[in-house]
Amino acid sequence: MNLEISNLSLKINNKTILDGITTTFEEGKITVVLGPNGCGKTTLIKEIIKKYADTKELAYVAQETTGYLNLMVRDVIELSRYSNNKFYRGLSAEDKEAIEQAIEMMDIEDKQNQLFDTLSGGEKQRVMMARALAQETDWLILDEPTSNLDASHVRKINDAVRQAKSAIVVMHDINEAARLGDKYILMNNGRIIEESNTLTEDLLDKTFEMDFSKMVTSDGQTIFYLAKQQESKRAQ
Amino acid sequence: MAVSCCLGSSNIALSSIFDFLFGRGETLPETTVTIITKLRIPRVLTAALIGGALASIGAVMQGIFKNPMADPSVLGISSGAALGAAIAIVVGLNGVIIGAFTGAYIGAVIGAVLTWFIIITIAKSSGEYDTSSTLLAGIATSSLMSALITVIMTLNLQKMERIYMWMLGTFSASTVSKTIILAIVVMLGLIALIIFAPMIDVLKLGKETAETLGVKQGRTLAILMTISSIILAFCVANAGVIGFVGLIIPHIVSFFKVYKMRSKIIMCFLVGAIFTVICDTICKIVIAPGELPIGAVTSLIGAPYFLFLLLKARRQNGGAL
Repeated sequence: MNLEISNLSLKINNKTILDGITTTFEEGKITVVLGPNGCGKTTLIKEIIKKYADTKELAYVAQETTGYLNLMVRDVIELSRYSNNKFYRGLSAEDKEAIEQAIEMMDIEDKQNQLFDTLSGGEKQRVMMARALAQETDWLILDEPTSNLDASHVRKINDAVRQAKSAIVVMHDINEAARLGDKYILMNNGRIIEESNTLTEDLLDKTFEMDFSKMVTSDGQTIFYLAKQQESKRAQ
Repeated sequence: MAVSCCLGSSNIALSSIFDFLFGRGETLPETTVTIITKLRIPRVLTAALIGGALASIGAVMQGIFKNPMADPSVLGISSGAALGAAIAIVVGLNGVIIGAFTGAYIGAVIGAVLTWFIIITIAKSSGEYDTSSTLLAGIATSSLMSALITVIMTLNLQKMERIYMWMLGTFSASTVSKTIILAIVVMLGLIALIIFAPMIDVLKLGKETAETLGVKQGRTLAILMTISSIILAFCVANAGVIGFVGLIIPHIVSFFKVYKMRSKIIMCFLVGAIFTVICDTICKIVIAPGELPIGAVTSLIGAPYFLFLLLKARRQNGGAL
C-alpha cells in the first residue's frame, strides 16, 4: 500500500504549517524527510497517520513520549498487540513471539521489569521502537528515532528500519540519512522543496539555506559537512 | 467490615453481628436488628462502595491525563457534582422521583458532566490532554465551584446544614434504598471501566500511536469520562466530597507493582473500599457519640502515608511512584 497525500494545507492560529503538500510514499522504500526545525515534518507525519491509521498498517514512534505512564517496559511493549484481541484474552503464541523478537532487536531484555518512567531518554526511545516493531505493520513511521541514542543503538534502529517493508523517517543527521534512505523528501516552510532518490550538496543547500560540501572517505562513504569558515560565521 | 458494624453511637457486640450475619438473628433484641439492618450495614456498604469507586476513578483519571496528581476532587469534578446537588436542593428539586432516587442525583450528574466538559475544553485547546493545563483548569474550576456552593449556602441559610454536608463528606445519611441505588450504579460503572481499561493504557502511548492501534482518543475519553462522572455524581450525592482517596489509593496500588489499568482498577476498588471503611470506623469512635467528617479522616491518615510512600519511592527509583 502506498501512502498518498494530495494538496494538503494546514493553518494553526493563522500560521501556515503545511502549504499545498502533494506526495506519495511508496511501498517497499525507506523515505527520509529532511528539513530545518519547525518546517512541518512532524505535522506532515501526523496527517499521514490521521488518514491511514484505520488500515492498522502503520506503527509510529514519536519524538518523545511525555507524561506519567506508570507502566512496566514489558507492559508498554505488549500494548503493541492490542488491536489483535483487545486483551479480552491473553496474548497468543504469535503475539509473544513478535514481542520477544522486538525486545531482542532493541537490546532491552534487561529493562523489561523496570518502570518505563524511570528510563533515560534513549532507553525510552528503544522501548517505543520495540513496541512499534512488535506491531508487525507494513509501515514504520519514525520521528527522529535516533536523536537520543549512542552510536551502537543508532545502528540497531537503522538495521530495524532496513528490515521493515516500508518506512518514513524524519531525521536531522544528514549523513545518517544519506546512508539510510531510498528516497528523500526535502521540506522548508511547510512546503516540499524537492523529492529525490539521492542527496546532493545543492539539495541540502536549498533546504537548509546553508553551504554544504561533500567528501568521499577512503572506504567509499560520502560525507556532507559545513565548511569551517561558514560555521564560524554562524557563530558570530 | 463486621467490626465497623459494631461501632457507633450505641455499641453492639461483635458476637451479635456474627449471629446476625450467620442467620441466628432471631435471638437478638429487635432494636439491635433494626440498628444493624437499617443503619450499620447500609453505612458500611456505602463507605465501601464509595471508597472503592473514588479510588478506581482516581486511577482512571491519572491514566487519562498521564498525571500522578489527577483525581476527581483535584480536577473539580467532585465539587461540580456537589454544586449540582446543592442547586437541586435549593430550588426544591430534591423531591423523590422513584424510590430513593431524588433530584439531587440528577443535579449531581449534570454538575459533574458539565465540569468535566469545561475542563476538557480548556485542556484540549493545547492539543494534548496530558499537559499541566488540565490540572490547572481543574484546580481553578474546583475553586470556582466551591465558591459558588458557599454563595448558595449563604443565600439559603435554612438549608445550609444540608448543603454543608457535601462540603465535608459523611456516610451518616446512608439508608437501605440509597445504598441499593448506589450499589447498582457503582457496580455497572465499574464493570464498564474494567471493560474499557486497556484502552487507557493504549492512550498513554500518545494520540497518534493509539490511533494506529485502533483507539480513538476523543471518543474514548468521552466514554470514560461520562462513565466516571456518573459514578462520581452518585457518590457525591450520597456522601459528599471526600478528597484524597482517589489520589492516594492508585499510588498505594502502584507501590505493590500493579500497573496495568484493568488490574489496577480492580485492586484500587478493593483497597479503596477497605481504606474508607476503616476511616469511617475511626470517624464514628473518636469523638463518640459525635462524629468526625470522613474527608478529614481520609486526609489525616492518607496524607502522611502518601508522603511516606513518596519518600520511599524517591529512594528506590529516583522519584517515580
